[in-house]
Amino acid sequence: MTQHVLLYVEDEKGDVFFMRHAFQHIGASIVLQITTTGPEAIAYLSGTGTYADRMMHPLPTVLLLDINLPGCSGFDVLKWLRERPEFKSLPVIMFSSSTRPEDVQKARELGATDYREKPASGLDFSEVAEELLRKWMNEHPAASILPAPATSPSGRRAK
Amino acid sequence: MIDRAKRLWGRKPSTLTSIVILLAMTGLTSYLRLYIFHDRHLSLTYGLPLLICLWYRDYRLLWSMAAAFIILSFVKAFHVLPDVDPADQWERVQWLFQVVNIVVIGSTVHAIIRLTEALHARNAELEVANEELRAKAEELAQQNEEIQHQSEEIQQQGETLRQQLEELELRNEELHRQGEELAAQSKELQTTNAELNDREVMLQTLLKTAGLHGSGQLVLEEICKMALALAGPGVECAAVTEKKGNELVIRAQAGVSSLQSDRWPYDSSLAAVVIKQGRTAGVHDLADRPDLIVPHAPGQDMRSSLATPIRVDDEIVGAMEVHSVRPHEWTTRQFELLEWAATQSGLIMQIHGLREGLEKLVGERTAKLHELVDELEHFSYSITHDMRAPLRAMQGFAGILMRDHSGLREEHVQYLKHIVESASRMDRLITDSLNYTKAVRTDLRLGRVDTQRLIEGIIRSYPNLQPPHARVNIIGVLPPVLANEAGLTQCFSNLLDNAAKFVHPGQQPSVTISAEQHNSSVKFWIEDDGIGISPEFEPYLFQMFRRASRDYDGTGIGLALVKKTCEKMGGKVGFNPGPGKGSRFWMELQSAEGATMPAEGNLS
Repeated sequence: MTQHVLLYVEDEKGDVFFMRHAFQHIGASIVLQITTTGPEAIAYLSGTGTYADRMMHPLPTVLLLDINLPGCSGFDVLKWLRERPEFKSLPVIMFSSSTRPEDVQKARELGATDYREKPASGLDFSEVAEELLRKWMNEHPAASILPAPATSPSGRRAK
Repeated sequence: MIDRAKRLWGRKPSTLTSIVILLAMTGLTSYLRLYIFHDRHLSLTYGLPLLICLWYRDYRLLWSMAAAFIILSFVKAFHVLPDVDPADQWERVQWLFQVVNIVVIGSTVHAIIRLTEALHARNAELEVANEELRAKAEELAQQNEEIQHQSEEIQQQGETLRQQLEELELRNEELHRQGEELAAQSKELQTTNAELNDREVMLQTLLKTAGLHGSGQLVLEEICKMALALAGPGVECAAVTEKKGNELVIRAQAGVSSLQSDRWPYDSSLAAVVIKQGRTAGVHDLADRPDLIVPHAPGQDMRSSLATPIRVDDEIVGAMEVHSVRPHEWTTRQFELLEWAATQSGLIMQIHGLREGLEKLVGERTAKLHELVDELEHFSYSITHDMRAPLRAMQGFAGILMRDHSGLREEHVQYLKHIVESASRMDRLITDSLNYTKAVRTDLRLGRVDTQRLIEGIIRSYPNLQPPHARVNIIGVLPPVLANEAGLTQCFSNLLDNAAKFVHPGQQPSVTISAEQHNSSVKFWIEDDGIGISPEFEPYLFQMFRRASRDYDGTGIGLALVKKTCEKMGGKVGFNPGPGKGSRFWMELQSAEGATMPAEGNLS
């Protein structure tokens, strides 16, 4: 029985904390894997170095990708990813505080599945967590039995 | 005279007078001979009384007297004288002498009378002829006088005519002079006119070339056209040439005959001559100059050329040439005009060069500025993004603490609230700034926007615009406009948010939206019953970071953003206090009625 694995690529410790807290708060039992740089994310996905052990570092079902990262940007990771057939169908959700149309456009062009603006408050990460669960992890055939979203649907992202 | 002659000589001798004279003379002579003188002497005097007939010319009287005297002498000699023997011979001879004497005298008188008569007749004839002549002479004299008179008259007329002629001649001369003057003036005018025409061509070319952007080629072609127009008829081609190595290259040309080859040997060209010598030179007939190359045009060779150097910054950069397919005498005027054209070409080339340099410089600087602006923008974005992360953390951690505050005192919870609010405000400030920068930087694509639907959507998505928080009334159906949907949403939501926000505490805001359709625009009115805006603040209403009141939450960017976005969509926004105490904003946008633009899609 496999659990959903969410790989969150984020260098901001606060955001990582809020995401972990949000999933705990809504009571979702997923595996949240974190990498803090672009190259690390690529290493995780290709299973090299410290990430060779797939038991410890299983392949994600969903990728949550920040744009502004040390090393190489989220776009570079996305580009690298989409060039590989094994990751063609991996849902990649860009997660950034940028609302620049250029960034949104670039993400779309590089093959991002969705674009989600970071909430102003860390407290509101739970909304994002709920959405991720509902949209990308519940429907998956390999999904484990997960608690249904506790709160009512918060609607599509509001711009 | 004639009368007298007639009186004296012309009368016919009267018979009576003749008889009287005859009797008187015969009686007298008989008395004297027979009674007084009884001698034989004076026998010769018998003929003397006949001389009376010289006075009274009558042949009958003459010869009657002669006969009477002969008888008398006979009588005396033979009958009277006593001593005379009639038979004596001497006596007879003596008497015979007396008779001969009488006959001779009588004949002489006769002859004289006859002569006299003839003379008289002749005289009379002459007299008559004379008379006639005199009459004729008189007549002639009269005629002469008349003729003289007429002649005088004619002479007078002649004089008058001569005077008139002289006057006419004078006038003619004057007219001629005036004519010459006029001709001179006309010529001058023609020259001036031609010059003006030339100037006009020059000016037009200057204006045209001054307005030309882009390649110098167009400018040079315009100059060639000008040179061609200025050179006048008989000139088929004008060209600007330049030295490139050993070749003469045609930079630009104009004319009915285009020169065929773009490159000529430089050394044997007329351009080389003028460039070397730095002066204008013309060749009447190129056939006379075998050392110079003949420019070719399709089907024909050029026969005559005029060239002048073109200077830019006192440096000769090329030559301006005009050519003719026939031998051509180049005039001073054409020399001058070509030189003028060359000067202008030089200036224009210089200006063009400067402008190109400037444009290049401006282009480079603009590109650099753009780069800088992009960099700055990127920088500001990065900074603001990075600023949002700690804010998110502040809000998040404070929020978590507030949610699980079992170990906290009430006042600490209040502090946490302040932290959250401050962080939230700062985040709004950042997002608004970003939005404003975005509005300034990006061009908004315009399309038809259904305002009614848009505003209804805004009200639905903002709970503070719905009852019980507020009441928003739309009067009538709002007409569609030509705008950008995202931009218009921004504008209306900011205006409506303001209208609902600035109210007295505890008051339920009431907002009214209405619209006026003008010819090509729509004016929207957003009126509220809130606290209103003091007249002092009105001038700063739409300025960045200006806030009317510190009592209400805000960043001071909202209205500036509305103004900027509205202007980006070709609209206007303003404040116009209404009759109520609240505020009344208006926004004017282009009407979508009649606009052929497609509906504007959501760009995000």
